[in-house]
Amino acid sequence: MTTESTPAVALRMTGITKSFPGVMALQDVDLEINEGEVHAIVGENGAGKSTLMKILAGFYQPDKGEIEVGGRKAIHWTPREARSRGIGMIYQELNLVPDLSVAENISLGAMPTRGPFVDYRAMNAKADAVLRELDTDIDPGTRLGDLSISQQQLVEIAKVVARQPNVVVFDEPTSSLGDKETRVLFDVITKMRDRGIAIIYISHRLQEVMEIGDRVTVLRDGRHIETRDVAGITPDEMVSLMVGRDLNEMFPKFDLGLGEQVLAIEGASRAGQFDNVTLDVRKHEIVGLAGLVGSGRTEVARALFGLDPLEEGTITLAGKVLKIRSPRQAVAAGIALVPEDRKGQGIIPGLSVRENFTLPVITRITNALLIFLGKERKIVTELADRLKVNPPQVERPLNVFSGGNQQKVVLGKWLLSEPKLLILDEPTRGVDVGAKADIHHIIGEFAQDGGGVLMISSELPELLAVCDRIFVLHEGVIAAEISRADATEESVMRAATGQEVAA
Amino acid sequence: MNQLVAPARSLDKSTTPGALFSTLSIPIAILVLVVIGSVASPSFLTVNNLTNVLNANSAVGLIALGMTFVMVSGGLADLSVPANVAMGALVTLGAQESMGTGLAALMGLLVASMGGVVNGILIGYLRINPIIATLGTGSVLLGLSQLLVGGGIVYAQPSALSTFVKSSILGIPVFIWIFIFVALILHPLLARTSFGRWSLAVGGNYQAAQASAVPVRFTKAAAFAMTGFLAGLCGVLLALSNGQARPIIGTGYEFVAITAVVIGGTSVFGGNGSVLRTVGGVLITALIGNLIILLGFPSQATGLITGAIVLGAVGIDAYFRRKAGRL
Ligand SMILES: Nc1ncnc2c1ncn2[C@@H]1O[C@H](COP(=O)(O)OP(=O)(O)OP(=O)(O)O)[C@@H](O)[C@H]1O
Ligand SMILES: [Mg+2]
Repeated sequence: MTTESTPAVALRMTGITKSFPGVMALQDVDLEINEGEVHAIVGENGAGKSTLMKILAGFYQPDKGEIEVGGRKAIHWTPREARSRGIGMIYQELNLVPDLSVAENISLGAMPTRGPFVDYRAMNAKADAVLRELDTDIDPGTRLGDLSISQQQLVEIAKVVARQPNVVVFDEPTSSLGDKETRVLFDVITKMRDRGIAIIYISHRLQEVMEIGDRVTVLRDGRHIETRDVAGITPDEMVSLMVGRDLNEMFPKFDLGLGEQVLAIEGASRAGQFDNVTLDVRKHEIVGLAGLVGSGRTEVARALFGLDPLEEGTITLAGKVLKIRSPRQAVAAGIALVPEDRKGQGIIPGLSVRENFTLPVITRITNALLIFLGKERKIVTELADRLKVNPPQVERPLNVFSGGNQQKVVLGKWLLSEPKLLILDEPTRGVDVGAKADIHHIIGEFAQDGGGVLMISSELPELLAVCDRIFVLHEGVIAAEISRADATEESVMRAATGQEVAA
Repeated sequence: MNQLVAPARSLDKSTTPGALFSTLSIPIAILVLVVIGSVASPSFLTVNNLTNVLNANSAVGLIALGMTFVMVSGGLADLSVPANVAMGALVTLGAQESMGTGLAALMGLLVASMGGVVNGILIGYLRINPIIATLGTGSVLLGLSQLLVGGGIVYAQPSALSTFVKSSILGIPVFIWIFIFVALILHPLLARTSFGRWSLAVGGNYQAAQASAVPVRFTKAAAFAMTGFLAGLCGVLLALSNGQARPIIGTGYEFVAITAVVIGGTSVFGGNGSVLRTVGGVLITALIGNLIILLGFPSQATGLITGAIVLGAVGIDAYFRRKAGRL
């Protein structure tokens, strides 16, 4: 966005420095955001993006540095103060209450009242106005839990917009969204920008940054590297600024001969989730499971792992028919699942990287009584090294690691269990470009060593690059099976949107 | 410490302030209490006084050791402790005549353990809120014990076992030996075994633990079964050494145990904790109780002071969690 006059500065952060015990998260970072611009922030996992935003939101106090909002210096910067000065935050994880109505969620914490009572009429009117402003047709009276994830995300945005913010931060908002939902989100962002709101947009998807961003700031190792106009930069340049070196191979693909069947699902159904799903995975094979958000991909994965057992159909693993009723049985049979919901189902926040890594296999590194701590440390150190967990301090609790590094630990945990079948639900969610290539390498190696992989991803380019075959789900039904040779974004999207019926 | 290659921008290898606080604070607190005690009263720092203090707190200390597992695994607290103490004590003395002391004591342990197992099933397998479940089983069992003895006192008969329980080995009372013995088993159980790791994981994130093939229900249930057993052991020991027992014998023990665990720095939110730290917590609560008497405060002040300390400890825990970003 270029305007004639110099744009007004909505937010200025200068010389921000923040250290955590053992880690320098931010060092002397400057950031300036104009009114009515979408300012992207990119950087590798652990670069300090989220930390900078948490400082902006008042959750962390910086060791040094100043914040200026709308030309006024920020003092006594607390979350409450930040909110009242017009800073809005939208995180990747939703912070909504499923059992309340949309309107109640939007007004949560700031309910309009009449006397001692909640003024429901005012509340609904306010919600209605905001939702209309965002151009959605969500009814304020709906129970939140009845909405789709992308609609819920819109409610989350509405909640922030209702407070009339001057600056809105999106920290990896699209990692759980499909293409269609992302489009909706971009429309909303554009609308907010055109109303003069300053937008900070954090994402690892550089294509999105190219599309939605006006300017982009690159952080590396807690330092401000550069701020540029998006029009004057290519994704490749961004990557090399982020990693400080050139990254050539983004999606490596090993050439593997196919082996015998690892997994066969036949006629699998769960009412309301998926119906008559039949698919198979062979040794050395990476099979993709594509589909729009809500098409039943995650539900199939959860059923395979015993989280929500099948109502009908059979699962055959390495020639044996299995009845899987719990994750314990699944793991014992040789199935592993890297879940979509990392925070809820992937990590034990207070335990160290070491303890998280070995959790499913802990009984394998014990004698009759005790854990072999020496052996455990050795295994874990090697794995952390191989996965390039950063910082490589395996004794630190996992919750202080950045999102992408937490994801590597969840993946590593399941590699340690040496499964026959590795199910991956959005395995590179929130992972930076370099780490993404690392993770693809690791998945490739796993297949090379004789494993079978079933991979769900909302990023089509990723599926196309990594998978040998792709099954496409449409409203719970397999709409197509597409070989690597025939798979294009177009063919997969057609099947996913129900424009092509399985042969 | 097995320190890995530090990354370039690593500052030092210290842990979080919260962890530092809880590692160092226990020895420091004990030291401070000992100093205050020796200044306040010449009889404080004597072998006799300290042995008595420890002896008097060993029985309830056993319960604190079990309660550590309850809290670590996210089971909040076991409020049925007084009932299981009473069951252990009353069954032992009640059955003494017909079975002989040894078998009667085993019966007492068994009955109290059953109480713990019922708690475990309700909480671990049926997923009932621990406070509600143990409050319920506690009143049922306590009512049952009152029914058994008609609210009165049961007296012990002299026996070799009770003589042994009251004796000393190498100048240290048997009660203290038993406490040390149980602590020496339970500390590595939490810190070094698969079961211990499971307990920490279940308390840290139940769903993720379940999805990581941890036997979540068993782990939660086992903590309550263990606490039931230890409450029973406490009851048996008290009955034999006091020579009598009443249904109210364990009243308030659940709070003393919770206090010790929390002062030891184990989080009421679950997911971290250590038996060794609970041992520290038992020592601190014991010394505080002793000091209150030596300093001439009314003994009723004990509840007030330890209560305030518990609130402080929980507050500090919550503060550091908030700071660490685990809101
Ligand atoms: N509460 C904390 N305690 C200790 N270290 C922390 C804490 N929060 C963040 N860090 C560290 O600060 C650094 C920056 O983390 P941050 O979460 O800001 O990265 P990020 O750029 O958002 O990464 P990602 O793309 O993976 O989300 C990391 O090394 C991380 O381990
Ligand atoms: Mg982040």
